[in-house]
Amino acid sequence: MTFIRWIMLVCMTTLIANQATSVAVTASPTVNPGLAEEPKQESADSISYYRSVRPILQRRCSGCHFPGKREGKLSVVTVDDLLTGGESGAGYEPGAPDSSTLIAYISGEKPEMPLNAEPLSDAEVEIISNWIKGGAVDDTPASLGPQISADNPPRYQSPPVVTSVDYSPDGKWLAVSGYHEVLLHSTDDNAGVRRLIGRSPRIESLAFSPDGQLLAVAGGSPSLFGELQLWNVADGRLLHSTTVSHDTLFGVCFNNDGTLVSFGGADNSLRAVSVETGELVMQMDAHADWVQGSTFSLANDHLISVSRDRSMKLTIVANGQFVDNITSITPGALKGGLADVQRHPSKEEVLTVGADGEPRLYRIFRVQERRIGDDFNLIRGYSKLPGRLCDVDFSADGSHFVCGSSTAVAGAALIYDTEYAAKIIDLKDVTSPAFAVAFRPDGTQVAVAGFDGMVRLFDANTGTLQKSFSAAAGIDSSIPATAASN
Amino acid sequence: MRLSFDQPTESTDSQGKPFANLCCSNFGVISTVSGPCSMRLFYTALLLLTTPWTLLQASEPPAAASETAEITDINAARTDREFHAIEVYPTELTLTSSRDSRRLLVTGITADGQKADVTATASISAQGDCCVIDADGFVVPSRTGKAAVLVTVGQLTASIPVTVNPLEEVPVDFIREVNPVLSKVGCNQGTCHGSQSGKNGFKLSLRGYDPLYDYRALVDDISGRRFNRSEPNQSLMLLKPTQGVPHEGGFLFDESSRYYSLIEQWIAEGCRFDADSARVISIAVHPPTPLLQRRGDMQQLSVVATYSDGSSRDVTREAVFETSNFEVATVSKNGLVKAVRRGEAAALVRYEGNYAAAPVAILGNREGYEWQPAEELNFIDALVHAKLQRMKVLASPLVDDADFLRRVSLDIAGITPTIEEIQAFVADPTDRVAKRSAMIEQLLSSPAYVDHWTLKWSDLLLSRRKAITEKGVWAFRNWIRNAVATNLPYDQFATQLMMATGSTYENPAGNYFRIAREPKLVMENMTQVFLGTRFNCNQCHDHPFERWTQRQYYELAAYFADVGRKPIGDGDEIIFTRANPEPVLNPDTNQAASPGFPFNHAGHIDPQGSRRKQLAQWLTADENPYFARSAVNRYWSYFLGRGIIDPVDDIRASNPPSNPQLLDALTQDFIDHDYDLKRLIRLICNSATYQRSLTTNKWNDDDTINFSHAVPRRLTAEQLFDAIIQATGAPRQLPGVPAGFRAAQLPDPQVDVAFLDMFGRPPRESPCECERSSDVSLGQTLNMINGPTISDAIIHPQGVIASAVKSKATDKQMIETIYLSTLCRNATSAEMQRAIEYFSSVGNQAEAAEDLMWALINSPAFLFNR
Repeated sequence: MTFIRWIMLVCMTTLIANQATSVAVTASPTVNPGLAEEPKQESADSISYYRSVRPILQRRCSGCHFPGKREGKLSVVTVDDLLTGGESGAGYEPGAPDSSTLIAYISGEKPEMPLNAEPLSDAEVEIISNWIKGGAVDDTPASLGPQISADNPPRYQSPPVVTSVDYSPDGKWLAVSGYHEVLLHSTDDNAGVRRLIGRSPRIESLAFSPDGQLLAVAGGSPSLFGELQLWNVADGRLLHSTTVSHDTLFGVCFNNDGTLVSFGGADNSLRAVSVETGELVMQMDAHADWVQGSTFSLANDHLISVSRDRSMKLTIVANGQFVDNITSITPGALKGGLADVQRHPSKEEVLTVGADGEPRLYRIFRVQERRIGDDFNLIRGYSKLPGRLCDVDFSADGSHFVCGSSTAVAGAALIYDTEYAAKIIDLKDVTSPAFAVAFRPDGTQVAVAGFDGMVRLFDANTGTLQKSFSAAAGIDSSIPATAASN
Repeated sequence: MRLSFDQPTESTDSQGKPFANLCCSNFGVISTVSGPCSMRLFYTALLLLTTPWTLLQASEPPAAASETAEITDINAARTDREFHAIEVYPTELTLTSSRDSRRLLVTGITADGQKADVTATASISAQGDCCVIDADGFVVPSRTGKAAVLVTVGQLTASIPVTVNPLEEVPVDFIREVNPVLSKVGCNQGTCHGSQSGKNGFKLSLRGYDPLYDYRALVDDISGRRFNRSEPNQSLMLLKPTQGVPHEGGFLFDESSRYYSLIEQWIAEGCRFDADSARVISIAVHPPTPLLQRRGDMQQLSVVATYSDGSSRDVTREAVFETSNFEVATVSKNGLVKAVRRGEAAALVRYEGNYAAAPVAILGNREGYEWQPAEELNFIDALVHAKLQRMKVLASPLVDDADFLRRVSLDIAGITPTIEEIQAFVADPTDRVAKRSAMIEQLLSSPAYVDHWTLKWSDLLLSRRKAITEKGVWAFRNWIRNAVATNLPYDQFATQLMMATGSTYENPAGNYFRIAREPKLVMENMTQVFLGTRFNCNQCHDHPFERWTQRQYYELAAYFADVGRKPIGDGDEIIFTRANPEPVLNPDTNQAASPGFPFNHAGHIDPQGSRRKQLAQWLTADENPYFARSAVNRYWSYFLGRGIIDPVDDIRASNPPSNPQLLDALTQDFIDHDYDLKRLIRLICNSATYQRSLTTNKWNDDDTINFSHAVPRRLTAEQLFDAIIQATGAPRQLPGVPAGFRAAQLPDPQVDVAFLDMFGRPPRESPCECERSSDVSLGQTLNMINGPTISDAIIHPQGVIASAVKSKATDKQMIETIYLSTLCRNATSAEMQRAIEYFSSVGNQAEAAEDLMWALINSPAFLFNR
């Protein structure tokens, strides 16, 4: 892991497109300099922060003192963070280790820190102390090694795990998540593939805008940052990059007129940003666990979110006010978290899927008072798939939907008839965990992809496999022709 | 009584001296409590009651003084020996896969035959290019062929042949290789991702018992968030433990470690999962019984796992080690045992749901020790002595006849002997062994034997009127009495309980299912009493120290799901077998568990039998490794004060027996003789081991687990109550029962006797032996000093003292009677002399006699079974 990622943890920083592409991210691994041998070669007054101090802080302190947790209101991941300090004041005083809070905490007979762990060794304390004595110089390199960017695109040893797929409204493009990028596969065999390479190594969710001109991408780097990207599909330009929270973002969705994009986060929040400005316009924090899916009501005035906390919540877009739990809140009524939600194209109804394997259709707005233990909003449940359900997508007219599931060792995908739960098409050629599904807008085709990195296209009426290709096909000759076996 | 706690008078001061000396002479035998014996009487009494009790209760003896003077420099301890030979384990090696590595253990042997582990200091080098020695000293194959490993210690060398079979390049296996690493570094421990709700959204099965669950958590939870096949070294599951990204669980390994490259390779190979991968079926620790000579000595352990496909592998580096007692020996995470002080501990080893324990013995400085052949009265003694020799302990001598009689009467019949019995036994000129043996027989056929063991089993079976009405309690008591009186074989006793049907008044065994009314509770009681194991832990989670799982809890409980209960009036119920068993829901799967045994054995089980029939057959089979063993161990503890496995109802791999050979032999004898409990008692009581004195010698004063001397045991509530009544001669009248009923004969704890509850009578709500408290409290002390139970009994007009006064006994006769009735022995001449002096100083014989009896009842010699 490279440190440069850490210093980019700036909450809600909006970068305009050309800046974003220049703030590229290193993808190649940087081996941490050894703890033992390096410092010995340094003289006491020229301790390198980057080579000597940072690894100690990273290993011994950052587990509790990082921006996502900030125990004692302290983060130690950058020199600036350290200087700012936490509840006990500034972390250190340059040139004066003896009056520095950090040294007071980690040294002495029974050091206060690290809490409930072995104290730092005398040598380690000395390194930090000498660094402060020498003026606490921040020698973190501005950039490290080759960084992934449009100029240095990701290379694939094997097809990437696919977490999300979506057809453009005109059906010309199939957007497929990759590593550090979104791959736009043309549905016309001759148009090839286009790469939208961004800062986030991990893509969790993607969606085309209703007019097809924009692509919203939710992702980030696990345990480091979340990012919402907005791309111009026509020219592959990044319009906005919004950094949010300290972990990846999920479940991205446009509203009907394409003015807002909603998404969930690992900080248990549901958010919406303005497409025009990239600015946050709404936030709702009532969930108790990661928010993994979101969708707008038909009237566009409400948001529906689902979470690993097993609940589906209704929120007013205008003010972020939590309105209702749409699902039952009886403990044990639902098992496992909810992974995705999608609104019916023409009704105030939503489909949700999750770890219990059963797709369920709910009405968004309740028609009778809540009573303890009720699940009145449930319209119907559908037959179960094995394992956990990961993704769901309605056909354009809402008459059908497709679901993918995973047991980790196998996968399945089914097309359901929304009204008549019994009519089901089993996509038998899905054998690998299916993390991502999409219905082509013209209703003729569904795409299924997942663990093995292969995209499979099926005839939506018959369930026969029409085509199968690697998510990374067409960009690099070194990619194996077959999927990774499982 | 004039002498009471809150009314010290001037007269007590002058009376204090002789009294205190009398008392000190009594307890001086068992402990070295020193103190001013000339304190005022009431202080002395208090001292007697509190200090010695506390000392007697202390389970950990103070470390022998010689230990502190012993080697303090660990290095000195390891290098001051001259070795004449070295041994290497194993003696040859065959390696078959590129990731197959093997640890060698090197032992140095001195001229006088002492062994010491020198693995850490031995130089190990590979000869030829077929294998290499890695940084941890493991032999790692490099290419096919034959080679040797040269081991050098000083001038001594040994050569170990190594065969490297054609090396298969096998992909990394999740179950066999990856999951054990997650266990070793602690990812799936209970405080981290193995906790009920995981950590930070990432949950693994506790200690990796469910590899598929763990695979799913890593691979399909959040659509593959935790691995990165495109760039394996950017996988979250590698960035977290290396602290490449902030990780609250800390830094666990670095990028150059074996664990890192193993996981990285697994990801690069596509995160495979082979559900049919061979599972570990057992682990073996070497050396199996480490013996360390001195403090600071070390012993490296090696652990080899055997798999269901017959293969085996050195898993020392992935096994998880713990010590059972860090005050005796520590075990590092790499399996290095270090001696802390003389004593015994177990090195506990866990690997992939398999558990093993290596008993570690540390001798300490035993210079001057020489084994003295001791009397062996039956096979018990030979096995106990073998262990004493190994630990360099010398046994104490046997107790005298009077003390033996009191001890064996209390242990077999729950009562103290009468004055006539004592006098007759002591005077009997028959050979000691024959005489004691005859007394054991006599006690075994006494009515009090039936009362005593009925009480024990009523406790264990939780008979109480709250659960089964008063009539039911009496009926159940009669059923148990009958079983005890007829010496019903233990396996049949258990079978009759398990299989009981019909009216519980007509077949009181059915009360077993009224006392526990649901399958889970019946199963928990059954496992704790008849298997000596605690299954209640794994209702909510897998057993922390055993292989038992939550699933097994529900599967075993399901055997009791067909027990039906139907009230039929008059407080009675019919126990019947239901056609449709009530489902036992496993909360984890939310499905009804189907019956299944937590372990299988070769014993016969009728596949067509009802659930309960199958359970009874499984439970009581000779082949069941817990059934007979737990009973034998439990009974042993009743006589020796401690189980060979202790606590007796917490048998598990991580709680090894202190003398496995002894437990095995007793178990086998019990099975071979049709589960005859009287025979078991007879064997134990006739052994020299049982008859040893409390006194210790230089070589056994720190022994608490090898039965080299007796340990004082406080009388149980019922024994104490009955002994007081017998000593004072006061008539017995307990509430709600006929006059003359002893406390041991009471049907259940709902007979309200505050004294019994104060002294730890169990409420019979849990089948744990620990429910019967032998704690010492201030309340008890004050009750003994000042309470009406004792004072009323002593001064009772029909009591021993009143009768003696009436019959014009001399002071000497009075004193003799009081010593015999309380301490069950004659007064020594010194005691007699002091008592006579005291009697004359008081002037009133009755009053002086009451004082003497009161003081003796309050002495450890009375309060304890010694």
